[in-house]
Amino acid sequence: MSDQPMDLRPLFDGIFGKQRTVLYKRPDFERRNLDDMLKELAKIPLLQWDRYVFSREPLDGRISASQRQVYMQKAWDCGVEWADKSKIKYGNLSAEKFANALGMEVEYVSMPENTDRVLFAEFREPNHIRVYMDAINRVEEFLNSDSIKDIIGDTNIADILLLHELFHSIEEKHKKEIYTRIEKIKLWSIGFFHYDSCLVALSEIAAMAFAYRYSGIKFSPYLIDVILVYGYSQNEASGLYEEMIELFNRRLEEI
Amino acid sequence: MVSKKFLFKKTFFGGNMEYIIGIILLLTFFGLAWYCISGNNLMIGFLIITIIWTVLSFGGTLGASADFLAQNEALKFDGLKGVMAALNKIFQSAPEGWGTTLVNVCWGAWFGRVLMETGIASTLIRKTVELGGDKPMVTITLLNIVTAIIFTAMTGAGPVIAIGVIVLPILMSLGVPKAIAMFSFMGSVAAGIFINPVNFAQYRAFFITPEQMPEFTLGWYATKWGYVALIILLVTTTILSGIYLAKSKTSHAWAATTNRGAQQKNAPFYTLILPIVPVVLKIWLDFSVIGGFVIAGFAALFLCGKMKGSFKENCQLVNKLYYDGVVDTAPLVGFLLTLPMFNQVASYAAPYFKVILGEVFPKNELVLCIMFAVLLCMGLFRGPMTLVGCGAATLGVVMHIGDFSVPFLYALFAIPTITVNIGSCITQSWVAWGLAYTKVESKDFLKLSIPNAYFAGILQYVATFILLGSLGTTWLMSAVK
Repeated sequence: MSDQPMDLRPLFDGIFGKQRTVLYKRPDFERRNLDDMLKELAKIPLLQWDRYVFSREPLDGRISASQRQVYMQKAWDCGVEWADKSKIKYGNLSAEKFANALGMEVEYVSMPENTDRVLFAEFREPNHIRVYMDAINRVEEFLNSDSIKDIIGDTNIADILLLHELFHSIEEKHKKEIYTRIEKIKLWSIGFFHYDSCLVALSEIAAMAFAYRYSGIKFSPYLIDVILVYGYSQNEASGLYEEMIELFNRRLEEI
Repeated sequence: MVSKKFLFKKTFFGGNMEYIIGIILLLTFFGLAWYCISGNNLMIGFLIITIIWTVLSFGGTLGASADFLAQNEALKFDGLKGVMAALNKIFQSAPEGWGTTLVNVCWGAWFGRVLMETGIASTLIRKTVELGGDKPMVTITLLNIVTAIIFTAMTGAGPVIAIGVIVLPILMSLGVPKAIAMFSFMGSVAAGIFINPVNFAQYRAFFITPEQMPEFTLGWYATKWGYVALIILLVTTTILSGIYLAKSKTSHAWAATTNRGAQQKNAPFYTLILPIVPVVLKIWLDFSVIGGFVIAGFAALFLCGKMKGSFKENCQLVNKLYYDGVVDTAPLVGFLLTLPMFNQVASYAAPYFKVILGEVFPKNELVLCIMFAVLLCMGLFRGPMTLVGCGAATLGVVMHIGDFSVPFLYALFAIPTITVNIGSCITQSWVAWGLAYTKVESKDFLKLSIPNAYFAGILQYVATFILLGSLGTTWLMSAVK
């Protein structure tokens, strides 16, 4: 007879094993290196990201390709204009000092994300901004590599996220005059009554333009989407990259 | 003079074993409740409790009083042959009988996959959002209605996730705080499930087989109570979303939504009616549920241009969708095939429970409704009120202690199962997914969902008492053949 005590753990685990949450299987993509992806994405001109941005717009189905380009241009200009106005009004402050000047409460939290939807930062009315640092910390090593620095330089990603959210706070304060809030699209009408709506994508484009202009970075802020997702999953970042390239190509076909 | 010791012996060991067995059964019931609430494996839990209750119920007859045995025909086994017949009923006939329900579940899952593959479900959502625009409350209201309609036909974690990845980012992009977006979506999914034919067949199997009460159809149930329950949950979810939204601050987020695969084209406008075809056919004409799924499913595949390949390719597509659908339901199947064993053994355990609880258990519908309304929170965490948790054991007790009508009992348990467990609890598989997807903390979701569970649940119990509280004697459990 064996001297080994009987191991009852497998039996115990079988009976008391916790119920598992059912999750769907994510698609597999061709794995790519971050620097290869960024090199390709950096070739997309700043104002030609419209197909990607509007793919996240709830009212995308109501907007034509030509309208999209007009919106992209105007919203980008709006972000740039408000970045310039802010610098004139407050001086050339760092992102954090600018946030202080606007009376914002900024919180840097380190909360792990899942890979379906990676949350980078959020602004909550009236003056609360959260920057999620976990995503940034995970790619710290990559950001310090020479091949990545060639593309994005010594950019402080947390500052870009903060500036993006600061634009939303400025937008709230000037909602009666700012382009992103006064531009509307007609959804439906009955007789004289018509139902109009703003476009969420315009705010997001302008916020990106604001961060781009204010920080002086030399690359499209949309690259950050791939960079930060990469920290969690090379597969998901590769999938996102494929989608961006596919949407850019589709845009060229539409034109 | 008779000593106390003698009386104790006489009561508990002198042919009155039913009291001891009743108490032990009650303790095992609470043990099962703890087991379920702790998040342990339900299938194994119910298999073990079935075996324990079988041993206790059958063994108890050896020491039970003659009066007790005389009053309970079910416990007269008439020798080894009778015991074997009873055991076969528990471990063979009961799960086999549930096979008819399982077939409905599989076809329903296939239909859900068809609606996803053809883009009908996602088109419905996108078109709804295009009506509502950037006004969060208008969009929430419209989305809740459409989501509830979609889930009258679709069910399972796969379809909920497939719709969730469209609805949730849209709501959040409109500035709706993530917890409210989650709460609103999950509540409306649960509302639709109230008249979902697959869920109806699944839960009805806890009470009776279709042959035992053929009049208790989805059509009868829906017109008598199901629509009301659906509307109540839909309205309370929407109203509370509005209240929560009015109190909250708008938020904007920078988030990357990762590649969900090829972007689907919009499905043709006239196909958007197809999700409700099986339910309408069932309720209106009492047409076969599976027949409805097949007709609407193939119509969707043909009309949306998914069957343009060769015959072989088309067969592969249909087969793949069936496979994916069955995988969606697989995690529940083991549990649901073990439950009928438990339900069967509960009928043998019931006489012992009656000895202990018979005098104190409410026999009046109103009292029962009030009691269940107060205890709604026990439907959370797979507790003793939800049929997809320890509630199956409670039902086993309630069903055999009192003589209530089947539709009334169905509604009594459907509320904690659907409104509380499926719509409001973090142990529901797709709610757990939603929490991870939106990064909402469990407590933040429960803060919104529990008030709704009570708000909707109490109104649904009022409707239950009014609409089902006094059905005729033909609907009683005792009338079931």
